Amino acid sequence: MKKGYGIFFAIICMLAVFTMPLFAGDEPLEELLGGFEDGTTPVTGETEVKTVPSVLELHGASVLSSAFNYARNAPDEGETEYRGFSRLRELLELEVDMRLSGGWKARISGKGYYDAIYSVRDRNEYSREVLDTYEKEAEFNEVYLQGPLSDRLDIKAGRQTVVWGKSDNIRVTDILNPLDSREPGMVDIKYLRLPVTMTRLDRHWGNWYLTGVLIHEMRFSKRPVFGSDFFPLSSPQPQEKEPANNPANTQYALALNGIFGVGDIAFYAADIFDDKWHKEENWRRHKRIQMAGLAADAVKGNWLFKAEAAYFDNLRYSAFPDKDKTRYDILAGVEYRGFSETLLSLEISNRHINEFEKEMGNLPDSVREDEFQSALRLNRDFRNETLHLNCLLSLFDTNGRGGGYQRFWVEYDLSDSVKATTGLVDYIPGDKSPFHVIGDNDRVFAELRYSF
Amino acid sequence: MKSDLFYARSQKFLTILLMVGFLFPAAPVWADNADAREIIWKVKDRYDGESRIATMEMILIDKKGNERIRTVRTHQKDRGNDTLKLAFFISPPDVKDAAFLTYDYDNDYYEPDRDDDQWLYLPALKKSKRIATVDRSGSFMGSDFTYSDMTSLDLEDYDFKLIKTQSVEDKETWLIEALPKTDEVMEETGYTKSILFIRQDNHVVIRAIHFVKEGGRLKYMEVKKLKLIDKIWTPTEINMTTKKGKITLHRTILKYHDIKYNEELDDSFFTVQRMERGL
Repeated sequence: MKKGYGIFFAIICMLAVFTMPLFAGDEPLEELLGGFEDGTTPVTGETEVKTVPSVLELHGASVLSSAFNYARNAPDEGETEYRGFSRLRELLELEVDMRLSGGWKARISGKGYYDAIYSVRDRNEYSREVLDTYEKEAEFNEVYLQGPLSDRLDIKAGRQTVVWGKSDNIRVTDILNPLDSREPGMVDIKYLRLPVTMTRLDRHWGNWYLTGVLIHEMRFSKRPVFGSDFFPLSSPQPQEKEPANNPANTQYALALNGIFGVGDIAFYAADIFDDKWHKEENWRRHKRIQMAGLAADAVKGNWLFKAEAAYFDNLRYSAFPDKDKTRYDILAGVEYRGFSETLLSLEISNRHINEFEKEMGNLPDSVREDEFQSALRLNRDFRNETLHLNCLLSLFDTNGRGGGYQRFWVEYDLSDSVKATTGLVDYIPGDKSPFHVIGDNDRVFAELRYSF
Repeated sequence: MKSDLFYARSQKFLTILLMVGFLFPAAPVWADNADAREIIWKVKDRYDGESRIATMEMILIDKKGNERIRTVRTHQKDRGNDTLKLAFFISPPDVKDAAFLTYDYDNDYYEPDRDDDQWLYLPALKKSKRIATVDRSGSFMGSDFTYSDMTSLDLEDYDFKLIKTQSVEDKETWLIEALPKTDEVMEETGYTKSILFIRQDNHVVIRAIHFVKEGGRLKYMEVKKLKLIDKIWTPTEINMTTKKGKITLHRTILKYHDIKYNEELDDSFFTVQRMERGL
């Protein structure tokens, strides 16, 4: 069975072996007391310790990464060869933090990369869109000014990320920042959400805090482009017509968060442009939509329970570009931390489209009346937290027939500054786009990160 | 994701180390078990300030001598019998800006099983999230300390016995054995037994031996530096070494810098909103 979920469960079984206990016996007291004698080796590096951050700080990272496609079939005539190495990328990330007086601070950060694999293989093999989108990139990430306007009122203005909701793997109420979805399952979590220019105000009252957000920048998710092995169609999509960056298109969002002893609750409302486009008059357009939602969590011992719900109005689909639709999304999740150094997490969600019409199931919409998704995650640390094992299984449909992927990766801290990562992503074919065409995009990958 | 609870409870470390740190001066050398318990209670009730700010430097040393260093700025404030804590990570670079907020509840008769409230801010995700209680026998920040080491013990869970006196670096100490009363406590802390060395002149625990339930290991805790700060005896450097037989498996050195007691800290400092703002 090529596409089983065997990897994920094999890892869980291995963990059970690792955790088998050994037991010790007692020793005479005098012998035990001798154990203090040889634990006094002087430590090297008696350095000056920075007790608070400096006024001006520069941080960053240099990341070298590579990927190898191990399961792809030979291409048809005229198609791009995607077997073998698919990435040889050097990424540089820089971040400047300035701490100003009165609790104010500013950040300017950005990243850029160059992927040499296209030159190594043959740039003529790839479409112009692929080279423009994947070969190189340089952009600002977070650029903002933040500070207190009063004791209980904060402002943060500039390009930033605002995360809503309680879930970690499935997005229901987390709708304010677009995603980098160009290579699903392959994007570092740090770079997954794309910062957007906003003005954010936070006001705190006792157990509650209210957040108001004005979103000034029209920014949408980065998606696979024509010619990419993650692009689900055989021909290019029509051009995208994004709303203009002007005051009339300002988007609004409001959140009320309550922090309580048994758990937290949050209420959300937003009036924004839909991140998902629809085809209309041979353009890809983004419709203004409204959303109301809530999220809650509660803790009991080693368990954390999570729930989210959202209602969306004025959604448009390519099959019916002149009809507005509504949708309910719900999510339930649980985390367990009772095993030593281990986190287990399960989230399930359903998206229900009201007044669904079967034409909406066709490309490019490729949606269902009820779309079920689940995500199972395992993280475990070994060797005094120098070795980190991670597994994620994400499936669409109740039985996985919609497709999905499983990702297994191991991180090893070579030092405080250098980390090596290796793993694989196994795409599970299914009848939901894009999994109907990316089932053989499976990759092994490796990454070396130097942080400073 | 890297284990994410390592920011929590750093300040509690001082509490546990000082928990048995103040014996009453007139205690007899050969006290019975009841006297040992009284000693421990006096230690637990010792005044340790209304609030405390410090920078914790944690040096992790593996058996090959390789070092990793983590630095955390910690803030702590008493609120009634409960304690509010907020810790900001300063280094290493890949976890800079992470923060941890804890409401540490003093379990009493009315709420004997109330768990602490904990939230973690993850800079990579730009997100705060509530955290369930972890397995308390697990490693704290990848160190040789466990989460259990970082929290104050419920003394009713233990039998205490004064074993003998011993001189440690010219200071007289009492050796008190702490035995968990139940398997459940043993499971929760990960220790089958502990021996505590309590200095007789200032009543600070300066050494401890912990018998680890799994793996046939022992842990040796030793206070290397002890300072009187604002009239409070404060360990500023502590070693914890994990050994199997005579072999050292791993070692952790905790150093505290820039310690300030009884600084003004408003309750609004200990909020998720403040945690997200960072240092």
